[in-house]
Amino acid sequence: MSKQKALENYSFIFPSFLLTMVLGIYPILWAIHYMFYDYKGYGEKLFIGLSNFKRLWYDELFWNSVWNTLIYAGGKIVITIPISLILAVILNRKIRGHNLLRAIYFMPTVISTAVISVVFFIIFNSYNGLLNQFLQKLGIISSSVEWLGPKYAMLTVIIVAIWGAIGNYMLLFLAGLQSIPEDLYESASIDGANAVHKFWYVTVPMLGPVMQMIILLAITISLKGYESIMVLTEGGPIGKTDVMFLYVYKLLFPVSTGSVYIQEIGYGSAVGFATAIIVGLVTCVYFILSKKMNKIY
Amino acid sequence: MPSTIAIQAERNKRVQRKLIGMTANAVLWLFLLAIALFTLFPVVMTILGSFKSNMELTSGATLLPQKWLFSNYVEAWQQANFSVYTWNSVFVSTAATIGTLLVASMAGYVVDRRNFVGKKLFVALQASTMFISIGAVVLRPQFELMVSLNLHTSLWGVVLILISAHATTFFILLGFFKAIPHDLDEAATLDGCSFTGIYWRIILPLLRPGLGVAALFAFRAAWNEYILPLVFTMNNPMQQTLTVGLANLRYANSAAMQTQLMMAGACLSMLPLLVVYLLANKTFMQVTAGSIKG
Repeated sequence: MSKQKALENYSFIFPSFLLTMVLGIYPILWAIHYMFYDYKGYGEKLFIGLSNFKRLWYDELFWNSVWNTLIYAGGKIVITIPISLILAVILNRKIRGHNLLRAIYFMPTVISTAVISVVFFIIFNSYNGLLNQFLQKLGIISSSVEWLGPKYAMLTVIIVAIWGAIGNYMLLFLAGLQSIPEDLYESASIDGANAVHKFWYVTVPMLGPVMQMIILLAITISLKGYESIMVLTEGGPIGKTDVMFLYVYKLLFPVSTGSVYIQEIGYGSAVGFATAIIVGLVTCVYFILSKKMNKIY
Repeated sequence: MPSTIAIQAERNKRVQRKLIGMTANAVLWLFLLAIALFTLFPVVMTILGSFKSNMELTSGATLLPQKWLFSNYVEAWQQANFSVYTWNSVFVSTAATIGTLLVASMAGYVVDRRNFVGKKLFVALQASTMFISIGAVVLRPQFELMVSLNLHTSLWGVVLILISAHATTFFILLGFFKAIPHDLDEAATLDGCSFTGIYWRIILPLLRPGLGVAALFAFRAAWNEYILPLVFTMNNPMQQTLTVGLANLRYANSAAMQTQLMMAGACLSMLPLLVVYLLANKTFMQVTAGSIKG
């Protein structure tokens, strides 16, 4: 009987286990294996020990992409989180039309990042882009601004990222706000607190633990995001928007981007691994710095 | 008379407070509307733009189309290959959703109802796949695997990889499993129903709300996926999905870019999910909100 039960158990788990191991875990082990090799995707596979990591240490393109990732993620989070929090606090007061507004803000989460990035590509295009047309018509600018040029490209990709993120974090904050007991606000009112006081002295501290998790989520997602940059700029111009995960992609699949890169599977694996370590490190540092948020006082 | 002065002062104060309140309210609404406008702008421009001519899009600076050109859709559908892209997207998303639900619900059923050696390890394994990411590197061994299985020329490879990323669905369903009372299984067992029978006849029907939510999520993820189908269909335009086919249109040089077809294509790709969202936006929000409460 119990033998039959075990058989049932493992046969129900099997499809999930097999797919996870073969398509989830094995590729990671594969990359860990190849990061010690010089392998270009064809021909010889040469074991070179830690040479890939030495090369990485002196790879200016890699450190440029790390730096860009930090700017990209930082810019996105610093703007998105306050806006989302304020939206959540306002909508939580059940003002007129709050359901409609919430549905509008959350809408970007059902739209494909790649597709909306194509649309933003048309909007921000310096040659006949929609934004330039409107700004020129309104007389705000006299000549076309190169939104995807070296000067503004990073700003543009951050704006697109913010567009996709605001609603998502707003909803997470709304869920967190609902766990704050109503009587805290009532007693604050009796003590003569106004809306701003209530926000700073009740909402923010009470939201601490939830906020810690939300920002953690925002950090990991932002550090890994590269889909929209790939569509908008492909990391260009002159590497200004090249982020870590995009750099990894270009080392492994240089064909699609029309770039000067050549396929580097061994080195690309090493960079991918280093990238994961950096994400882990940033997360750890954040956890230590944000410890205080977890305490409600 | 001191009392009238006091009343006057009180009245002034009240007027002042009211003014501050009104200004605060105006600022608040301005903020709300500005963000709403920012959010809606690209989507509205896409919908309106899909009816404009290329000329109007690249130099018109108009909001509404001068003439509503439904022919853009016909052109995109017939000449720009969007009928093929749409079919591919429908196939990949449907197959991936069904597969994900089946695999995740089977695993969730055993994990919730039974005890077995390695259960904790299995749950930890699922959780770890959600957090560890080394980026595009994994696509290479995945692709090589599909080549050796001879699945790289069809979209089944993409479908299998999408199904393999079922950890989120697994955890969503696990939450819903807990709500199904164990007495039902026990009663069915006494009546002679087998383990598999209980899964098909009792668990799956009762799990329907959970399956609905999970299906929405799995479908959205598959429909919107870009990099995976891009890598798998790089040399195979007939297998490309909507996201890939659409993004490739931007490679035409600026002067030859057919903006109106890109807008129509973007609309085709966005509309199905937007319509579902209009009908069921609460369900979409449910899981996102649930992830933070747990």
